[in-house]
Order: sequence, then structure tokens, then C-alpha cells
Amino acid sequence: MKLKRIEFLSKDEVQAIHSSTIEILSRVGIKVDSPSARNTFKDYGAEVNDHELFIKIPESLIKEKLSTVPESFKLHGPDGTFNFEVNTTSTQFATIGTPVKIYDPSKKGGVRKTVLDDTIKQIRVVDSLKNINCSHIDVWPNDVNYLSLHAHCIYQWVHNTRKPYGLGCFGRLASQDMMNMASIIVGSEKELIDNPRFVGFMNPTSPLHLPQLMTNGLEIFAKYKQPTIIAPEALAGTTAPVTLAGLLTQINAEIIGGIVLSQLFNSGAPVFFGTVSTITDMKSGNAALGSIETGIITAAIAQLARFYNIPSRGPGGITDSKVLDVQCGFERLQTLLVATQAGVNYITCAGTYEETLVEALELLVIDDELVDIVKRLIEGINVNKETLALDVIKNVATNPKKGVNYLSEVHTRKFMRKELYIPKLIDRNRRSTWRKKGSKDIINRARDKVEQILQSFKPLNVDMEIEKELLDYIKKVDKRILDDYKKAEGISTGTVSLPGTDITVKDN
Amino acid sequence: MSIEEKVKELVIEWNEEELKELCRNTLEAKEATPAELLKIIGKVMQFIGKQFEDEEIFLPDLVGSANVVKNTIDEILDPAIKASGESKETLGKIVIGTVEGDVHSIGKDLVGSFLFSNGFEIFNLGEEVPASKFVDKAEEVDAQIIGLSSLLTMSMGFQREVIEELKNRGLRNKYKVILGGSPTSNEWAEEIGADGWADDAIEAVTLVKKLLGVDH
Repeated sequence: MKLKRIEFLSKDEVQAIHSSTIEILSRVGIKVDSPSARNTFKDYGAEVNDHELFIKIPESLIKEKLSTVPESFKLHGPDGTFNFEVNTTSTQFATIGTPVKIYDPSKKGGVRKTVLDDTIKQIRVVDSLKNINCSHIDVWPNDVNYLSLHAHCIYQWVHNTRKPYGLGCFGRLASQDMMNMASIIVGSEKELIDNPRFVGFMNPTSPLHLPQLMTNGLEIFAKYKQPTIIAPEALAGTTAPVTLAGLLTQINAEIIGGIVLSQLFNSGAPVFFGTVSTITDMKSGNAALGSIETGIITAAIAQLARFYNIPSRGPGGITDSKVLDVQCGFERLQTLLVATQAGVNYITCAGTYEETLVEALELLVIDDELVDIVKRLIEGINVNKETLALDVIKNVATNPKKGVNYLSEVHTRKFMRKELYIPKLIDRNRRSTWRKKGSKDIINRARDKVEQILQSFKPLNVDMEIEKELLDYIKKVDKRILDDYKKAEGISTGTVSLPGTDITVKDN
Repeated sequence: MSIEEKVKELVIEWNEEELKELCRNTLEAKEATPAELLKIIGKVMQFIGKQFEDEEIFLPDLVGSANVVKNTIDEILDPAIKASGESKETLGKIVIGTVEGDVHSIGKDLVGSFLFSNGFEIFNLGEEVPASKFVDKAEEVDAQIIGLSSLLTMSMGFQREVIEELKNRGLRNKYKVILGGSPTSNEWAEEIGADGWADDAIEAVTLVKKLLGVDH
């Protein structure tokens, strides 16, 4: 039998959280900074208080809009040859952070700031991995001007991987740039919309607040039907109630508020239900992402998402450790294990440590193997006539020849690869053999694998015409100043047009 | 029970109403002057701060107590001190806030509570504070230190803007500027010409005391 899914909420408890969520959204409301987003809600029957910026969503509207959310969608790489489906029953694995530092044992403290070269390497490593299907702009290139960072990263995406990509929904202008550049790469806007390439990350601010930059970005992602994760990151005890049930009620309201808005922007726009919410460490005030409670919250989110029939997203393989030590090991496994056992449909954060602030390519390849280990756990035990192996037992045990065992049995050859997970990075050698191979620990073995991947990487061919168009686009983005973005987002005076569209954004 | 013991009990229990009542009654009965009462409360907050440092109590205990004390000082003791003409003893005045473009508040508020519990007067401007507002407030209250919090990589640049604003107004040498927040670092503080950086609330107190020449 396969491993039973773990659940922390009974049917009644899920219903209690749902009812409390409806109470919050319809009676307390949610704060929406953007006047245009509030108007969108108003047009569909929400009660809007433009003075206090709160909107209340009637239960009927919530129910109606949750019913238009797709149960599944596909994500594609630049040329479409690689794609995968996200649905409510399977599990996919991906990265995210956003790491601003990277493991570098040659540096003081073992870390240094990430640069574009690290972003490129991470994209290439993810491209080669068996289980990690998507990366996002999650290794932050500190040496690139942040105002045009997204454009430079999209350029690197198309040159370095066949897998999909993504970014935070950080405003209209940056999001529109991504859609424009992706349309150049894939051939047309229609192709991008029909076969999405990007995962968006839309982050409500807890408690109960949809910020303007995020709703602006969500509008673009929804328009282009790029699957968007509505992802609050609430912390029990500081930005959410300290009780996990209270936290779940609040983030459920934040997620559903964001999802309803996405459907108002574009009915049928694909979304993920989910979060990287956790507890507050009450000694330091930090997010305790590696905690056991993270797993409990993530598992509950998976249950709630199934209740609404929407693909879920949660973290796995995360740790609060600042070094690659035992804490790093057990926290990443415990969070990954619980998320997978709970049936989360899109598990992110592979390759990170120190609360996802630091990247380690070594951890990325290790996490790929951890996924295999966890998948083996889920497979459980297969019991049937063949696997009970009665005849084989009889033959081997009663064989008159001395020293007979199961090694050369046909049965062993037939079932070995299905029954036993054969690891690549894990070491099980005798000490003498391990010594002869260099006495390496798993980090060193992982580094060897990373170097091998990077050395054998073949850059992808990009059409010359596309290359030129992308570089011209980047030049335009590079010329922008902060005020251009502020104007586009409606948080400064003046107007600006969104490139590649006929939309002019006026000052609010 | 002495006044100090009673104050300690009420602060630990977060009993704001009774603490205010105790202060009113004590002042009316002239059992202590406002400044003396403030000193007593200050000692109680120091005790709580030390308990937090020693991990005997945790964040909610510290912050809850600090809030109760702050409200009592704001509503009862500060007005009484002003009316009596006494001078208010404080180790220093610090303006703190989260910079423009950043809504994070908890770390900065914790630093504020801890500095407050160590005898400093805190002016917390909240979040998304433009550079000019930091400088305006520091000038208004005659602060010694401006503390800038940034939790987003993209908002760090606004910490630099505050320093530029001080320079533009010819006020750079008048204030010490300190930084904090996850993406920031000592190197970043040096790069933008700040006077210091602290990793957490406890370090912030050490840094502030060092910058102001106060005994630790």
C-alpha cells in the first residue's frame, strides 16, 4: 500500500476554518490599497470603504469566483519542449527564496553576495535536475541594477534552460516587461497565453492586506493567464494569531481574497493556493521556516486547497540553519517530508538555507535526491503474489548449494529498481572504501556533481532575430528610472504608458 | 509592597489600567515626583529587558510590557513632568522607522521596545517613512540618533537616501545614523557612510550606548 496522506484537520475542522474565513471576508473585509482594484471589487458587488481602504466580499461572490478557478494547468519552457502539469493530485518541486547570498566556503563566514553568474548557474543546474521542474528569479543578482533586473534574468532564462520560470508580481511595469519579453521569445502573446511560461508570486501582506504593487502585478499575470501563487507569509504570533487555527483562518482569507481578485481580473486565470506561512521564533522575532510547525501549516493548506479544488503550494526543504550542518539536514528533510506526505501540489524552496536567504547549488542537487527519497517513502510497500515471493524464498532457502542467496535471482533483478531506491549522493560504503574515494562528505560530493553539470552544460541556441529584439528591449528597460515605475504603479504623479500595450496609467 | 514591587507586578501582568491608577494616586498623594516614578518604571523595564536577554521571558512578554509602560508614560507621566517643570531623565532620544517602500515593522518595533526598556526615549515613525520625515522628526525632538530599518533588498537604497538628506541639509554631523534589517550588514553600513549597524535588539542597545558614550 502507498503511504496514506497525512492530515491534521477533520472535515468539520476544515469547514470551521472555511466558515471563519467567510466571516472575515464578508464582515471584517480585507484592505486593498489600489483604488482601481477596489473599483473592480465594487463592480462585482463587494462593499467598499474608500476611506479605510477595506473591501468586504459577499459569500455569494466568493463562491462564484472560486468556481471559475482551473483545477489544473500546464507550464512550459521557452521552446515548449519541456512542460509539466500542475493539478490537485500530483506533486511538483521547484525553487524560490529569494536568496541574496550564496554558499562560498572560500569566503569569510562561508557566504558572499549573489551575482548574475550565480543566477545563471542556478538556472543551468535546475535545467539538468530530474525532480526540480521550475526555477524563478530566485537567486538575486546583486550586481544588476534592480530596476532592470527582471529583464536581464528573462534574457538568461531563454539562454540557459528548457524549463519554465517565474517572478514576483512586482507591479504592472515589470510584469508587463516579462510578458512582452516572453512573447518575443515564444513567438506571440497568444502562444504565451495559451501555453504559460511563468509562475507569478503575489504576496498579500499579513494581516489582511493586498498591497498595490502586488494587485497591479496580479492584474497583468491574470490577463496573460500565467499561473500565480497567492502566497501570504504570515507568522504565528506576530502577523497572524499565535494559534495555528487562527493563522490558517487568516491566511485562508488572504489567499481567497487574492484568488477572487484574480478571477475578477480574468475569469479562469490559473492560480495556486498557497503560502510559506510559519511561526515566529519568540526569542529572536525571526520566521522559523525550518520548524515542525511549518510542516503542520503547509499540510493544512493542502487540505484547504483540496476543499476548494485548487492546486496547492507550500515550502519544503527549508531550514533556519546558517551553515550546512545537521540542523540544515534534518529541517530540510522534515519540511519536505511533511509537505509531500500531505499532498502539496507544488513544493518550493529547493536549494536554500538560512530561511531561504542563502542559496547553495550543492543543496540544490542534494534536494533533488531528497525528493527521490521522499517519493520512495510515498510508494510504500507493494504486496501481491509476486512480491510475497513464496516460490523464490523456497528455492533459495532450500537450495543444497552452500552460499546461495538472492543476488543472482531473476526476481531480484526484476524488482530491484522498483523496490530499492538507489542513491547517487548518499554514501553507504565501508570506511576503507570511503577513505579511498577521498573521505568526502555529502557537500563535497554534491559540489563535484554541480561542477560536472556546469562543465557539461551546452548553451541553448536562440534565434538571432529574437536575440536582437530581447537586447533592444533590455536597453529600453535599462534607461528607466525609479520614478517611471512609481508612475506606472500609481504611487507618484504623472502618467506613463505600459510598454507593448495601449494602456496609459494615470496618477491616482 | 513597595511602589517598585507593585509597578513590577502590574507591568508583568500587562495591567495598564491599574498601573495608570497607581501612578495617578502616587502623584496625588505626593509619595513620589513624576521624575522619580519614571525612574522606578525605568528600573522595572531594565529588569524585564535583562530577563529577555537571559531568555527567561520571550518577545510577547517584552513587547506587551513595553506597550503598557509606554502608554502610561505618554498619558500620565510625561504630562505630569511637563507640568511640574522637572527635567525628564533619558539616556538619549532616538528616531526610528522603516524606510520608504517597506512595510515591515516587527523587528524595528522590537528594537524600539528594547531600547526603551534600557532607558532611551523612542520616536517610532512607523513604516514607509520618506527620508525627509526622519530628519524633520530628529530636528523637532532634538534626537541624537536616527535608526533605519529595511527588510527588503529593494528598500535598502532608501537608507542611503536618509544619509544624503542629512548631508543636503548640512546636518550629517549632528546625528548618528544606525541601520538594521535582514538584507543589511556592517559592510553595507560602511558603504553608505552610516555610523553603525546592529544585527538584533540586544546589539542595538550596545551600539547606541557606545555611540552616545553611555556606560553599558
